[in-house]
Amino acid sequence: MKLYDYVLSPSCYKARLMAALVGVKLDIRPVDFHPGAEHRGPELMALNPAGSIPILEDGDLVLTESSAMLVYLAAKAAPQWLGNDTAGLAARVQQWLSFSHRLTASLGAARLHEMLLRPGNIDALQGQGTAALRELEAGLVEQHIRGQRFLASDRPTVADIACFPYVALAPDGGVSLDPYPAIRLWSRTIRGLDGFIEMPGIHRLHELKPEPVPVVGEA
Amino acid sequence: MTRDTMIDGWYPVSLASQLDAHGRSTALMGEPIEVRRGEDGNAKVTGGNGRALPACIRYGHVWSSLGDPQKPLFAIPEADQPGRRLVDVGVVRVRCSPLRAVENFLDIAHFPFVHTDILGAEPHTEVQNYKVEIREDEDEVWATQVRFYQPQAAKSAEGGITTEYMYRVPAPTCSILYKTCPPRPGEWDVITLFVQPLAEDLCDVWPWMALFDDETPMTDLIHFQQTIFVQDRSILENQIPRLLPLDPGMEIPTRADLTSVAYRRWLKRHGYTYGAQLVAQ
Amino acid sequence: MPAQSPAGPVALWRTRSGRAAAFADRCPHRGMRLSHGFVRGETLSCIYHGWSYAQAGNCLRIPAHPALTPPDTIRVATQHVEDGGGIIWISVGEPAAPPPRFEGLAPLRSMVVEAGIVALEAAAGTRAAGGLLDYTHDDRAVRLLLAPEGQARTLMHVLADEDSNPGERIAASRAAESLRRVAEDIARGGIAR
Ligand SMILES: N[C@H](CCC(=O)N[C@@H](CS)C(=O)NCC(=O)O)C(=O)O
Ligand code: FES
Ligand SMILES: [Fe+2]
Repeated sequence: MKLYDYVLSPSCYKARLMAALVGVKLDIRPVDFHPGAEHRGPELMALNPAGSIPILEDGDLVLTESSAMLVYLAAKAAPQWLGNDTAGLAARVQQWLSFSHRLTASLGAARLHEMLLRPGNIDALQGQGTAALRELEAGLVEQHIRGQRFLASDRPTVADIACFPYVALAPDGGVSLDPYPAIRLWSRTIRGLDGFIEMPGIHRLHELKPEPVPVVGEA
Repeated sequence: MTRDTMIDGWYPVSLASQLDAHGRSTALMGEPIEVRRGEDGNAKVTGGNGRALPACIRYGHVWSSLGDPQKPLFAIPEADQPGRRLVDVGVVRVRCSPLRAVENFLDIAHFPFVHTDILGAEPHTEVQNYKVEIREDEDEVWATQVRFYQPQAAKSAEGGITTEYMYRVPAPTCSILYKTCPPRPGEWDVITLFVQPLAEDLCDVWPWMALFDDETPMTDLIHFQQTIFVQDRSILENQIPRLLPLDPGMEIPTRADLTSVAYRRWLKRHGYTYGAQLVAQ
Repeated sequence: MPAQSPAGPVALWRTRSGRAAAFADRCPHRGMRLSHGFVRGETLSCIYHGWSYAQAGNCLRIPAHPALTPPDTIRVATQHVEDGGGIIWISVGEPAAPPPRFEGLAPLRSMVVEAGIVALEAAAGTRAAGGLLDYTHDDRAVRLLLAPEGQARTLMHVLADEDSNPGERIAASRAAESLRRVAEDIARGGIAR
């Protein structure tokens, strides 16, 4: 499976993270998104006329929406991540998958503006991002009350992976996560999952390893 | 504090490869500027009131100044050495003092915690003694014989190695590091951090590299450096205070921080205080 | 986690053995926010260079100099913390009295309101007493514990009846959301519905 990938893209990271969590090895094809704008070049436009990344290729199948990639990776390697057990669960997963596009359009665009100088109305983007974070916070609080740690269930599903990256990277776009305790707790739980990988802007949870015995006088 | 003493300096304002007739609107120390390619193919930079500003193209970037530069742009002789790949990493904006961005670049002790498993990893956290000096002839800050254990020192490195570094600060918002070069022992890779001060607490950072590496695809080299820098970005945006404190007592340096101590002393001596604070607030 | 106190931003954390502590949210080394740090055992470490601090605020470890015992002068300012009934209280200086206990109530969630206490009172249609605001929404009583963060922002802790079931708790959480919407409308100078 080949992923057209950019290290700083939270959408590409969704696919990388999902693959790592379910143990699928991806063949990474780095795209010079910034500064080169290679995603707008002829080769990638031919593959995805929308001019966006990620793009996932598996034989004849070409996917250009990260949510579809999450579903594909889960269905192939770890179907429990789909959350298909009951009608209610399946619908809740879809609810959050759709919601995740609002995160991309608000927090993602704010991040591109603040970090990579993309044009945009930053106040409006940050405002929409804050509104989305408040909804997510409320949703997670209600999940807690139900005794569930993740967005759709008590176990992680593709919904969590679809929402996690843009949320965790909200501060990159000038939107603080300080006001959202339930989001921070959920984010830590995801970061502690077996097989979790980081992307730039999301630091390693050093507490997962015990304090090492220091090496003195080595270099 | 003040931009007076820094006004005559050269600052990066664009990638040379992205210069076009359409132009780019940006800023230098609070003043809006325009950068574009002139009819003669040269870079043209205009200031807030339409006045023409000095401009030159060097090390992959367009450089300009709000004042009257007394010196040409600092030299990086290695950049002209044949066989090097020149890497335009691209701009990253950071809400921090331009001086804090440079100081972070001079620091190795954060590698295990911020660039985990790439530039450093516990338990290899020790910073051995190294040499720091202000070279009076060149008027530059230098740190040499800096050694650190690194799991993946460069895109071309395979496995952990002890890397040697030299750091150089030729201008208040620019730094160059020389680093052991895995494919070519005896030579140094050149990695720079060129910082464009937009405001005292906001900067555009233009990393740039001149490497001996014929193997790694260009995009991988760009992504490696962007990864490193964006890992630093979330630190830089969360240091308090925003401005670099030049007043000893605000922060606690150890032996590992001697480069930072020398850098701050050098800034203070020259009155390079745009992006700094002199007294504790 | 990050929090606010009258003495400025704090990093709130809990040791492995369960003791809560509040530090000034600034590492004395190079000013990084300590609320971005990590807890191992009984220490909080800074994410930037890994300096570790004990619950009392003294520095225990500087990873760049593993053989060095940090001098006692390197310390973070701490604040007094009381941890009771599911609520963490901070006091600047020695507290005169222990924090109040809310018999029969359980904390549900904390939320930030972009409005001052006056707007919250107007939205609830009642006055706060001793930091507590009682709000009735659809015949359901919600008790709110208010901590002002300046004039225009309030940290609001939602307390629910200890015996309430999940459905009632979710309703209380939603009631608090409604109150926040109205209070923020008022604060923006809009008209409350
Ligand atoms: N198709 C969406 C697009 C994700 C997205 O917004 N990708 C960004 C990069 S992070 C992009 O390609 N933007 C195109 C552009 O900004 O030119 C998905 O897969 O979720
Ligand atoms: S700033 Fe906290 S350890 Fe350096
Ligand atoms: Fe760094």
